[in-house]
Amino acid sequence: MPRRLAACIAILLLTAACATTPKAPPPSGQDVFILLPDEQGKTGSIIVSGAGGKRLLSEPRQAVTVAPGAAPGEPFVMPREEVRALVGPALAALPKPPMQFILYFKHDDIELTNESLTKVQEVVRAIRERGPVDVSVVGHTDTVGTRRYNFRLSLKRARVVAALLTEGGVAPSILSITSHGEDNPLVPTGNEVPEPRNRRVEVTVR
Amino acid sequence: MRRTLLVAVFLVTIPVLLTGLSAAAQETIGVIRSSEGNATVTRGEKVIPAAAGTKLQAGDTLRTGPDGSLGVILRDNSTLSLGPESSFVIQKFLFSPAEGKLGLMARLSKGTMAYLSGLIGKLAPESVRFETPTASIGVRGTHFAVKTGEFASQ
Repeated sequence: MPRRLAACIAILLLTAACATTPKAPPPSGQDVFILLPDEQGKTGSIIVSGAGGKRLLSEPRQAVTVAPGAAPGEPFVMPREEVRALVGPALAALPKPPMQFILYFKHDDIELTNESLTKVQEVVRAIRERGPVDVSVVGHTDTVGTRRYNFRLSLKRARVVAALLTEGGVAPSILSITSHGEDNPLVPTGNEVPEPRNRRVEVTVR
Repeated sequence: MRRTLLVAVFLVTIPVLLTGLSAAAQETIGVIRSSEGNATVTRGEKVIPAAAGTKLQAGDTLRTGPDGSLGVILRDNSTLSLGPESSFVIQKFLFSPAEGKLGLMARLSKGTMAYLSGLIGKLAPESVRFETPTASIGVRGTHFAVKTGEFASQ
């Protein structure tokens, strides 16, 4: 009789194990790392390094757990509901990525292209609609001219845009002006390459 | 004569450079965009409530209570957030692409967090590193979340 009961329990346990998803929730005594797809549905990769070992995660919802002083375990794909149960409130609190506007300039000039000049109003509207915000205004150039010259040129461009926003009613106190010169091109080029798409000011509304 | 002039120039420039440096140390690295429940920023000895709009500096520790959460936007457009009962410090944040100075180092010692990488992650992914009590994360791309184990809640 006791043997039969034991057999019954064993069968019950086995079927229960088969019925659940292959992986049990991570033990609470371990750190859990989960790679997630971004808003565009693209998934990058992260490398998790623990004591004496590392793991690469590169698939959507791929996760790994690490116990203190141990190497990371075997990566596994975590069900959506479990991701939500573990880190739901943190994911819900993640701010929307900032809005970005790109305004283009004429060659070696601090004058906006006509098209971009009309776009300034759109930027002003977005700043108003988004409520309390921080706005960064970052100037850029293409690679024609020296690095030093371009650093100054892109600073002047940023100031021109800041002035236009202020004219449109944006409070100067929420604007921060920076110059990246030729070092952060939108379209990577060699040196001394004229590239209209790199002559720009990026306005980011946070 | 020329040498004295040079020395004079140096003497004038040094204090300017120094004040420049100390100003850089106090630089704003990001801003709190949303805050729920009990949430604070600890800066040195000071503990300030973490409200939307609060500006952050490198070295700040962010903490949330049992009902708390925080959403943060950093200057490179990366976003990060904390769930309840969390403790997180941004140890290093460098974002001066013109000078090639880029880097982000942060540590989650307790709780949950999520991160979506921005420009630093795009321009210098190898300079982004997160730590927890058990491991460190190198970020080659965009979005991830972390929960620390219960052992870390001391």
